[in-house]
Amino acid sequence: MQTFLFVIVMLLAQARGFADGGTVQMRKDAGPFLVTVFTSPAPLSAGPVDISVLLQNLDGLAPVLDARVSVLLRREASSTEIRAHATREQAHNKLLYAALVTLPESGKWRLSITTLHNALRTEISGEIGVTQSYVMAGSYWGYIALPPVMIAVFVLREWLIRRKPTLRANQCKII
Amino acid sequence: MDLIAAAAFSSWSLNAPLLCMLLALALTYFRGWHLLNAERPHKYTARRLLAFACGLTTIFVALASPIDAFAGLLLEAHMVQHLLLIMVAPPLLWLGQPVLPLLRGLPRWLFRDVLGPFFSWKELRQVGKAIIHPLIGWCSLAVVVIMWHLPRLYELALHSQGWHELEHACFFWSAMLFWWPVIGVWPSQPVWPRWAMIPYLVLADLVNTGLSAVMCFSDHVIYPTYQSVPRLWGISAISDQVTSGAIMWVPGSIAFLAPAIVLIMRAVESGRFHGVKLAPTPRAVMPRNVARKAWDLLQVPVIGSILRFRYFRRSIQALMLLLALAVVADGLFGSQVAPMNLAGVLPWTYWRGLAVIALLAAGNLFCMACPFTLPRDLARRFVTPQFRWPRRLRVKWIAVGLLITYFWAYEAFGLWNSPRSTAWVILGYFAAAFAIDSVFKGASFCKYVCPIGQFHFVHALVSPLEVKVREPAVCGSCTTYDCIRGNDRQRGCELNLFQPKKTGNLDCTFCLDCVQACPQQNVGILRVLPGQSLYKDTRGSGIARLSRRPDVAALALLLVFGAFVNAAGMTGPVMMWMHRWHAQLGLGSMVPVVTVFYVLSLLIVPGVLVAACGWASHYWGRASIGSKDLICSFAVALVPVGFGMWLAHLSNHLITGWNSLIPVIESMRSQKASIHYPPAWSPNWLPSLELLFLDLGLLLGLYIGWRVACRLVVGGPRTLATLLPWVLLSIALYSAGVWIVFQPMQMRGMMMQ
Repeated sequence: MQTFLFVIVMLLAQARGFADGGTVQMRKDAGPFLVTVFTSPAPLSAGPVDISVLLQNLDGLAPVLDARVSVLLRREASSTEIRAHATREQAHNKLLYAALVTLPESGKWRLSITTLHNALRTEISGEIGVTQSYVMAGSYWGYIALPPVMIAVFVLREWLIRRKPTLRANQCKII
Repeated sequence: MDLIAAAAFSSWSLNAPLLCMLLALALTYFRGWHLLNAERPHKYTARRLLAFACGLTTIFVALASPIDAFAGLLLEAHMVQHLLLIMVAPPLLWLGQPVLPLLRGLPRWLFRDVLGPFFSWKELRQVGKAIIHPLIGWCSLAVVVIMWHLPRLYELALHSQGWHELEHACFFWSAMLFWWPVIGVWPSQPVWPRWAMIPYLVLADLVNTGLSAVMCFSDHVIYPTYQSVPRLWGISAISDQVTSGAIMWVPGSIAFLAPAIVLIMRAVESGRFHGVKLAPTPRAVMPRNVARKAWDLLQVPVIGSILRFRYFRRSIQALMLLLALAVVADGLFGSQVAPMNLAGVLPWTYWRGLAVIALLAAGNLFCMACPFTLPRDLARRFVTPQFRWPRRLRVKWIAVGLLITYFWAYEAFGLWNSPRSTAWVILGYFAAAFAIDSVFKGASFCKYVCPIGQFHFVHALVSPLEVKVREPAVCGSCTTYDCIRGNDRQRGCELNLFQPKKTGNLDCTFCLDCVQACPQQNVGILRVLPGQSLYKDTRGSGIARLSRRPDVAALALLLVFGAFVNAAGMTGPVMMWMHRWHAQLGLGSMVPVVTVFYVLSLLIVPGVLVAACGWASHYWGRASIGSKDLICSFAVALVPVGFGMWLAHLSNHLITGWNSLIPVIESMRSQKASIHYPPAWSPNWLPSLELLFLDLGLLLGLYIGWRVACRLVVGGPRTLATLLPWVLLSIALYSAGVWIVFQPMQMRGMMMQ
């Protein structure tokens, strides 16, 4: 029973593959702010990725919660450009600004974060490396593995029943 | 509370799978506890219920509250999370004595047929006994806690969601083993004397103290990640580490030492150390050989009364009719931009998604509320049809043809993107239902023509509810057969389904005419095992044996392959493929390319695959029946696989476009050109949900296939050989479904902001 529940817990837990936060990709001063950019999953791979930004005042490191944060991803090799607004509503941790974007290909991407706060515009940018997509194998493996596991359990059950034909009739009195 | 603190405290995550799992556990426990509380109120008290509920709540708080949101930024938050998973949740759960309530709370068939063989497996029970030994529990917790606090592993967990979840699972389950002998969980017998639990707890505290001391007194940051993340509220990495060490030390020690003190005090009070006082082992978890009545939706308070209300169906049909008329009016005269029109949103985004979810959760609720048959029912008060539906046409082939046409037209003419076409299709539906049923008796349109009805009939075969006789013995003494013949106040079944001999939901519109007509009130909406009518193959009233119905097999296969083709048609790669061919051939219209795609994917490829499976099944299994009969028998086993795909696809539309009605209503109210379009909602658990639907569809399909093979061929290896081609086909379809889930989708019926 506990094994059964454990399997379910583990499988369902896979759904949390893309929470905000994750690995710190860059951390730079921009005007009066300290901007930290997190990405998830780690390592960053083509497919859906979470980009989260923590904006802090350099003076006292208090989080800034009323800015407008934009994300721009540019891949020079294929002239692909992705723009997104990062918002606190999309973030799990409400001190962060998060955006979920889909990176179509692997390689080097230029990531720029623009912030607008009280008419003050700041920007930081840097390069990030994106590996080949591993979404299916990485984040959703539990769901793909569920059918084989259940089939194995079913085969085992059939084997148990065939091994002991009286089992079916006596199943209820065993505990 | 300032803005930052408010933001921090609002950082809860809607972790839907976790929430669903905890709710399922809570409901199962509560059901079992409720039954046991009635039998043994002194043993299964409200305190046990409360303890279990608190344990589940603790897990939720640990994994979905701001504690989890800040675990990556603050070591102390992470430490609190681990303490909750190790020292709070497990003992609370065990204090609820959950084993028996959870088993009693499970559906009887699941406990008896699925889990039963495992419970009586001697070797497994020996393993179970071994792992709940106190030595194993103590060692597993000590090893797990020390191991996961090694910097290398801790860092691994901080950088990978998968490893982090494994870390949590290790903490939680090793703690469950640790706390088992301390609490004395039924059905264990104490292995060690009760006094041994005192050193057991004290020694565990020593390990905890050692680790805490390392964290408190270290002069450098042990986990480098916490040095690289931004610091909040001016807390430095080293002071964060010292605080987390103190949290581990003080509350951790209390969690270990408090139970030890309780044990000592109890021993002092009683004068000696007793073994754990456990309830005598019950002989049976479930009462044996007690025929339980099937759960009946009509017996549920309020809902049952509403459903039995004589004018209930008419009321919901009238509501649906009004909605259909609104869709037609807006489709014909409103904006022809689909996301701004009821005809572009209601049928394609909402209705389809809700209909399949209703099929999954209950049954054929769409036909119950069908608006198309309401006008003809009204007309029949004045005109009585004279003819019977032609005998030769009493098959599903007309519906098969119409479904193929629908699938093709949907993509070729972009029905989803054309409110006017949608409106005309709905009007055509009304006209067809009215014309056919004005001439022919009964519900000929529903039974033999309506493609939407066939979709619901076939998929309702895997629904959990069925309109069915409550007590077969009562029907044995019936001489009036009101359920099919009707009486002076209520018509009988228009689809010729005689209740005592009815099997499954095929051709049942859930109209509840039989429920109203039965003078004994012996017809209910009973709970059944999903899909059981697909493998039992008993001769059913009005439908005969499914294995002798090539038309039903063709219909089932069309819906199965249609599910995948329909979903694939909106994926980026397939659309690009069609556009490439369109450009290469220099055609003026996409229709020929779409037609070729549909002929290939809906007719030729499925035909070849199914014929090959039928032949292989016959050849490998050396079955005594021919390929055609094998195909008819196994075709229905694929229905759950297709249903899984329909669920994945249509729930995707429903969830991502749940708010697509807002701009339609806004445009109707204000008639403004600039409408605010809410962004499509794409929660990160959506692919998981879609994969779960595909998984469940595949597993149910394989199970039904297995039962069909066992029925057709006697003998282990031959049974497997007969089944194998269909297993391969199911897996191929499932793989196609998984591929579709991860493709970029065209957001139909929505305007992306």
